[in-house]
Amino acid sequence: MGAFARLPTFRGLGPFLITELRVQLHENMAVATSMTIQAVLLIFVTILAPQYLAVALVGAIIFSFFTLGQRVWNEAAYVRIDHRLNQLYGASPLAPEAYFLGMAGGILLAYLPPILVLVVVAEAILHFSAATAVTLALTSVAVWLFAVSFGYVVSTVFQDMRTIWPYASLFYNLFGILPPVFYPYGLLQPASAVPIALALPPSAATGLVQNALAPGLLSSGDVVLATGSLAAEAAAMFLFAVYWSRRSVRER
Amino acid sequence: MTVDAIHATNVRKVYQTRRWAGWRHRGADGGGRVDDGAVEALSGVSMTIRPGERVGLLGRNGAGKTTFLKIASTLLTPTSGEVLVFGHDVDRDADRVRPLIAVVPQEGKPFFHLTPREQVYTYLRARGFDRTTAKQRTDEALAQMGIEEVADRLSVTLSGGQRQRTMVATVIATEAPLLFLDEPTIGMDPFARRAVWECLRRLTRKGSTILLTTHYLDEAEALAERLYIVDRGRVLVEGTADALKHRVGGTLRVSVPGGDAVRALFAPFGNCVADAEAVHVITEPAQLNEIMDLALRHGLHATVGPVTLEEAFLRAVGRSIDDEAS
Ligand SMILES: Nc1ncnc2c1ncn2[C@@H]1O[C@H](COP(=O)(O)OP(=O)(O)OP(=O)(O)O)[C@@H](O)[C@H]1O
Ligand SMILES: [Mg+2]
Repeated sequence: MGAFARLPTFRGLGPFLITELRVQLHENMAVATSMTIQAVLLIFVTILAPQYLAVALVGAIIFSFFTLGQRVWNEAAYVRIDHRLNQLYGASPLAPEAYFLGMAGGILLAYLPPILVLVVVAEAILHFSAATAVTLALTSVAVWLFAVSFGYVVSTVFQDMRTIWPYASLFYNLFGILPPVFYPYGLLQPASAVPIALALPPSAATGLVQNALAPGLLSSGDVVLATGSLAAEAAAMFLFAVYWSRRSVRER
Repeated sequence: MTVDAIHATNVRKVYQTRRWAGWRHRGADGGGRVDDGAVEALSGVSMTIRPGERVGLLGRNGAGKTTFLKIASTLLTPTSGEVLVFGHDVDRDADRVRPLIAVVPQEGKPFFHLTPREQVYTYLRARGFDRTTAKQRTDEALAQMGIEEVADRLSVTLSGGQRQRTMVATVIATEAPLLFLDEPTIGMDPFARRAVWECLRRLTRKGSTILLTTHYLDEAEALAERLYIVDRGRVLVEGTADALKHRVGGTLRVSVPGGDAVRALFAPFGNCVADAEAVHVITEPAQLNEIMDLALRHGLHATVGPVTLEEAFLRAVGRSIDDEAS
């Protein structure tokens, strides 16, 4: 019998997170190539519009956290559909919430080193102010929480891997690249699109960081909108994923 | 009074396939009836399994075996009915059930990017075992399943049977009070299958209870103390392998080459079935002398063997198919 008599939420998180981390670390090529899109876009910006490099660098950091959601989406679906290991863990004392968060956390730890390299490079070039550093850290956490929660929840509705690939990459690239994540808010046209971008998690985050880099960029109303929507979306999505992780152990 | 390991009452399961899938794929399949995209996979299954028993669930493809196992192991919601595992309702009280069970899913595979040793060890850790116990149980389970030589290779490099052994090792290492194994020996060689049988016997001696499905009837006979045969979502028969064989009409099978003429000759001695080559007479030892005599007098070469569980199964399920057709 397992050592857990009862099941408080997140019971078993540590060991399962380490399991997922080990799984991810065996795929070192995936980790090594995880910066491809960011690197390509940064090279384009350096060549085409070097004055926007600062914005693109912080955007690349936010984007990196955002796309971890796509990895969770794929991993959760793969483990369930191809390996059926969700059944092994579902019918066990491991808390379902720990399964979700352990998977997201294991993937985060595996993919953190290249992101940290990016952060070090950005810091060397930009010399972040304290305000920018804090804004970047907090918004990164919020974007990560939103992205992995969303990825985990939607992964549960798919029945086969082939249908997932196009949706997952479309979603994360659409919301991570189309809005002003890699380019300045000032270039977003028409101006009526600004509130929409500020309401979407990755571009809300980059809006706040861009505003920290160049104070006064956003009106105080825009700052409230971006902060409020990012915090609310991240919290709501995370809480829903916690609820959903338990509820979805049992198929209907 | 000891509480039953599994006490299932009138369990029904109707899968609701999506409407758009329903109209595209409407039509009956080998298992449950299909009606407007709804599949009735279980239509009122009841069973009782006592602690320490090894019970086999047999049935054709689509009979509802996996569906029952998933419901009883808290992985699927029943449409109606109740399953108690050690007295806890699997639907309402899953948190109390889950620490008591472990599952080998049908067609499950280990993490490809873990070694079998990592797979078993990390699973035990996630279930809450301390490092020392987890390591010791891992070594034992890998040895019992005979996969020590490959235990430190990534599972992606293992053969199908070695992967399946890894799955079984992962689950038996838990020594959970109740183990569900859905076709645990699929793809295994005869040695590996016997290793699994030995492991499962050892676990029940230690007090665990086992419910497994298999399509290998020799395995069911060797391993399960009691069997349930399900067909189209219902329990057809329940009992020991011997009891099921007796229901066929005898314990011996006499096979005589020939066709309808031979069949007519031997019909008085018991249940006769014919296949392309021979007529098979199911009979009791008391009648054996007479039958062999008759065969000798007609210059026919008769061979005698025990009735197998496979025959009992084919008869029981075959009769149910005939009933359904008429
Ligand atoms: N998710 C599902 N949605 C709709 N129908 C399903 C689903 N899963 C199973 N079924 C149907 O329910 C019936 C029982 O399936 P189940 O998997 O329990 O059979 P089984 O006895 O385990 O068969 P096998 O020996 O092939 O594994 C089948 O008719 C199957 O097609
Ligand atoms: Mg099955």
